[in-house]
Amino acid sequence: MMEIATTLLAAPKWIIDLVGKDNVFWADYVVVPVIKIVIVLFVVLTVVAYLVYVERKVSAFIQARLGPMRVGPWGLLQPLADGLKLILKEDIVPLKADKAVFLLAPIISVAAALVVLAVVPWGAAWATISSVNIGLLFILAVSSVGVLGLVLAGWSSNSKYSLLGALRSSAQMVSYEVALGLSIIGALMFARTLSMTGIVEAQQADGMWYVLFQPTGFLVYLISALGETNRAPFDLPEAESELVAGYHTEYSGFRWALFMMAEYAAIIITSSVAVTLFLGGWTGLGWLSNLISGWSWTHSIISPENLQVILSIFAFVAKLFAVIYVYMWIRWTWPRYRYDQLMELGWKWMIPAGLANIVLTGIWYVLALPKTSGGLFGLMQNQGGRLVASGWGKIYFIATGFAGTVPIIWGILALINRRSRDFNLHEQRQLQVRLRRERLQKGAEPQPAGD
Amino acid sequence: MPSVTTPVRKRTLSEVIKRLLLLDLFKGLAVTFKYNARALYEKREGGNPNQAIYTEQYPRERPRVSERFRGAPRLNLDPETGGTLCIACDLCALACPVDCIEVGSIRREVREGDKVNKKKVLTTFIFDTSRCMFCNLCSEACPTDCLELTQGFELAVYHRSGFRWDREMLEKGINYVRYSK
Repeated sequence: MMEIATTLLAAPKWIIDLVGKDNVFWADYVVVPVIKIVIVLFVVLTVVAYLVYVERKVSAFIQARLGPMRVGPWGLLQPLADGLKLILKEDIVPLKADKAVFLLAPIISVAAALVVLAVVPWGAAWATISSVNIGLLFILAVSSVGVLGLVLAGWSSNSKYSLLGALRSSAQMVSYEVALGLSIIGALMFARTLSMTGIVEAQQADGMWYVLFQPTGFLVYLISALGETNRAPFDLPEAESELVAGYHTEYSGFRWALFMMAEYAAIIITSSVAVTLFLGGWTGLGWLSNLISGWSWTHSIISPENLQVILSIFAFVAKLFAVIYVYMWIRWTWPRYRYDQLMELGWKWMIPAGLANIVLTGIWYVLALPKTSGGLFGLMQNQGGRLVASGWGKIYFIATGFAGTVPIIWGILALINRRSRDFNLHEQRQLQVRLRRERLQKGAEPQPAGD
Repeated sequence: MPSVTTPVRKRTLSEVIKRLLLLDLFKGLAVTFKYNARALYEKREGGNPNQAIYTEQYPRERPRVSERFRGAPRLNLDPETGGTLCIACDLCALACPVDCIEVGSIRREVREGDKVNKKKVLTTFIFDTSRCMFCNLCSEACPTDCLELTQGFELAVYHRSGFRWDREMLEKGINYVRYSK
């Protein structure tokens, strides 16, 4: 891993020529990262603006409408018009709001979402801002600060809707954060590293996307990520029919836009973690780069290495948008959960499923270890300090994932939770009826007049 | 107090399996995906209920108006001579429940071949669309199929006087401002 880190940070030759041979440190640690940061921020913020457009279009198509059509061809300039409008709108601060906190809250929210972009591996080699060896941990830690922005916004607005929205979002995010953390551990057992680049390279070495080894982990991750980003069907913090707009009820103008940006940036980040951890990251277009670099005339336009990197970025973005589309598809299909149902799903299904997935994956893993390490089946080999599943080992892990872990966890949880809804509503009501009847029979309460 | 017993129905096995596999949720996803895919490849024809997208972009494309819709009035002309079909019989004005039609006529000598007949000739025809309720009784009463309620529906004007349609407007139709884009 150390080799990768050093090659990643090395500045290209033309930048070193520009800065001077004596300033290689500056070129490596300041100039190159700043250029990358500017590019990533520009691209991501544009994509965030257009995600709003895509969301409106997808929702319109699903609901037999056309969506934005008037600003530019097919409404393509709509995000520009929206942005202009939001900048020009008045920035209203409620009279009795806690002004400093009110102004700070959206900044915290959007900063927490954007800082995480630093460790997302957009592509192979140079196409990431920094390859930290605890990348995934960094993402989980920093992105969970985002909830602080929502809580502060709700509290400082001095409005009951905002406060209720903030309370809900904090409870929801704390619950789903646990399931999110548990769901990724199964995949990390196979990857054996927290570095985002390392996880992708581990999947390349194994020749397998971890979604096939970890179907339960992937499902739990997707659902918890929906809860974590406050998206429908878990959009209780901003449930329109109940709370007007939730935590950002009192916000207007560009501060409101910051909350929107934070929400959509969070979608990009959770999707990119899903792509990196479960869907093979930027791998998958290697055959195309081999094909193109086979034509010798392309070498004068682009070197084979850079071609590979650019194609890897395309692969990553394609997978990213597939996951984001699934999020939108779910949002415009399923109705919102009630609050107790949300908590039930989080605590009675997602967290136990995440825990059980860790235990079962551990069991399958230990059983498949090489016989010299005490395994039963010996389906893994030691390749250059890493345990890699052999051909039969891959089939074994896929079979145990789909035919073992998923039905076992689903069956057990369904058995445990089968009466929980009856208990919550029906049984409790019946209990009160029975107790009252007993009291009436004893004559402890006077008989109602007309009965 | 009357005791209330709510019968708890046992679920059948197929219902249990359906609940366990979340089939209803996936059915919903299939429906929305089908609509989304159809919206992308289907050729659009606004307001067609059999299509994935129902929207008609009104000022940019003409909406589909039903054939029996009763809208802007019109005085039809004789297709051969180009003269009006109206014989100034005043039946439409009599039939109108809200008295929004005024027919003006004079008796005049009209030469037809060799003979000269005294005849009623139409001079003015005023149709007040602000009072009209588009009941079509005038059109039913017309013996020469001259007065007709067409499918035109853009009757908005900038001033109240614009609601009084005179004979020229009724024969030629009013000039709409056509917005492009």
